[in-house]
Amino acid sequence: MTGGAGIIDLSFWQLGLALLLVGVLVVVSARQALGLERDLAIGALRTLVQLYLVGLILAAVFSAARWYWVLLILVVMAAIATHAAVSRLAKPIPGIFWIAATALTVSTAATLTYVIGVVVRPHPWWEPQYLIPIAGMILGNSMTSAALAGERLQGDLAARRDEVEVRLALGFSGREAVQPLVRASLRAAMIPTVNGMMTVGLVQLPGMMTGQILAGSSPLVAIRYQIVVVFMLGVATALGSLMFVRLAVSRYLTPAHQLRRYLL
Amino acid sequence: MFQVEHLCLAYPGRRGQAAATILGDVTVDIERGGALTLVGPSGSGKSSLLHCLNRLEEPTGGTVRFDGCAITDWDPRELRRRAALVLQTPVMFEGTVRDNLSIRAAGVSLDLSEDRLRETLAEVGLDGGLLDREAATLSGGEKQRVTIARALLREPQALLLDEPTSALDPPNAALVVETGCRLRETRRLTIVVVTHSPELVRLLGSALLYLVKGRVQSYERLDGDANGAIADQRLQAFLAGSHPS
Repeated sequence: MTGGAGIIDLSFWQLGLALLLVGVLVVVSARQALGLERDLAIGALRTLVQLYLVGLILAAVFSAARWYWVLLILVVMAAIATHAAVSRLAKPIPGIFWIAATALTVSTAATLTYVIGVVVRPHPWWEPQYLIPIAGMILGNSMTSAALAGERLQGDLAARRDEVEVRLALGFSGREAVQPLVRASLRAAMIPTVNGMMTVGLVQLPGMMTGQILAGSSPLVAIRYQIVVVFMLGVATALGSLMFVRLAVSRYLTPAHQLRRYLL
Repeated sequence: MFQVEHLCLAYPGRRGQAAATILGDVTVDIERGGALTLVGPSGSGKSSLLHCLNRLEEPTGGTVRFDGCAITDWDPRELRRRAALVLQTPVMFEGTVRDNLSIRAAGVSLDLSEDRLRETLAEVGLDGGLLDREAATLSGGEKQRVTIARALLREPQALLLDEPTSALDPPNAALVVETGCRLRETRRLTIVVVTHSPELVRLLGSALLYLVKGRVQSYERLDGDANGAIADQRLQAFLAGSHPS
């Protein structure tokens, strides 16, 4: 079956055939006693339900073509990304949800403004076909980098507490005392992005480029978008993780250059 | 040098839990050039009291005065240079002994000339030839003495030692004890030390504060007599190795 512009539309039967792949996974899990059968079944079901729901909502937003619906979608995406970014922290940090929300919102808004307003320039500027997928990519990557940075920062503060306290005891400011840990956290957050830039297109074709090619775009158009995306994600992850780490580490320090040990 | 009055320290409780009291109503005076030894079972608040003296911990009640001024009136960074803290486990940063001695905050000027570094190492009983050794290759006792030298380069008036010998074997511990006692004489340093070592208590003399669960159980002055008798039976038992609660 083919859709517009020569795209092969997938029928329910074809989706059912794809579901057989999960069946293979379940059999492998059962035979190898991996104990993943239940999780695989739930995962497959969630994939179906979540993506169908998202598809229906996006179709409605695309056809309604109103800026406020697009904005609402972005707010919901940012809230989910924020929750996911902080949910893996080993210990709660006071106010961390709002810290992550600020970091992800500011980094996404700044990058999105540049990419949409200066580079891509769709009409109208809030055109959901461009704004929603691009914002989704930025948020997803910023979320991962903030989560990595937060996990590393928290682990390092606990493991290297003596080192921080020695610097404080030697008369360093709080900010100076934690700087090596901040640097290590930022590096940990940026490494996946930097590695991705090194091998982009060589190991696997990036998701967006693959999607465009499958949708019938010329590979030459697709790579131009992908180049923009790679640069955009680099900036967004750097900005997001930098803000997140700076704000999060400030929760561990007092104005009197003390480490709040009870948070460790 | 330090006047501690009704000092309290508590950590905020987690959701729905009561605050954890670390120190309760501690009052003690430490004169200039004097020494105070803090003893007590694990978790009695000795290290926390030490951290309150240079404001690495923020007391939740009471006052601490250093050199006549409330510690809240000092710039915390300046206070910590004057009341230098040495931790139980010596922390060495990457690089040589020289790098470790030269570490300082931006905008702080220290005399880090070759002569000064060698003199300071000699003060803690180390040879100047160690300056270009990788700090990570030093023995535990050498590392601890480098951390004391690092503190001395800031020209402190007081030295706060948090169990400086507990991570060391007996010969190295004896060298660190001897270094601490000598510095008190040569530099007229005020020394506050947390220790489980009866030897260090006797060598330093002066005063003893026995803490249990954050409260002062007894305070005893040894009046500079290195062999001064300790009257309090709980203290005697504690220093003899049994830990009454």
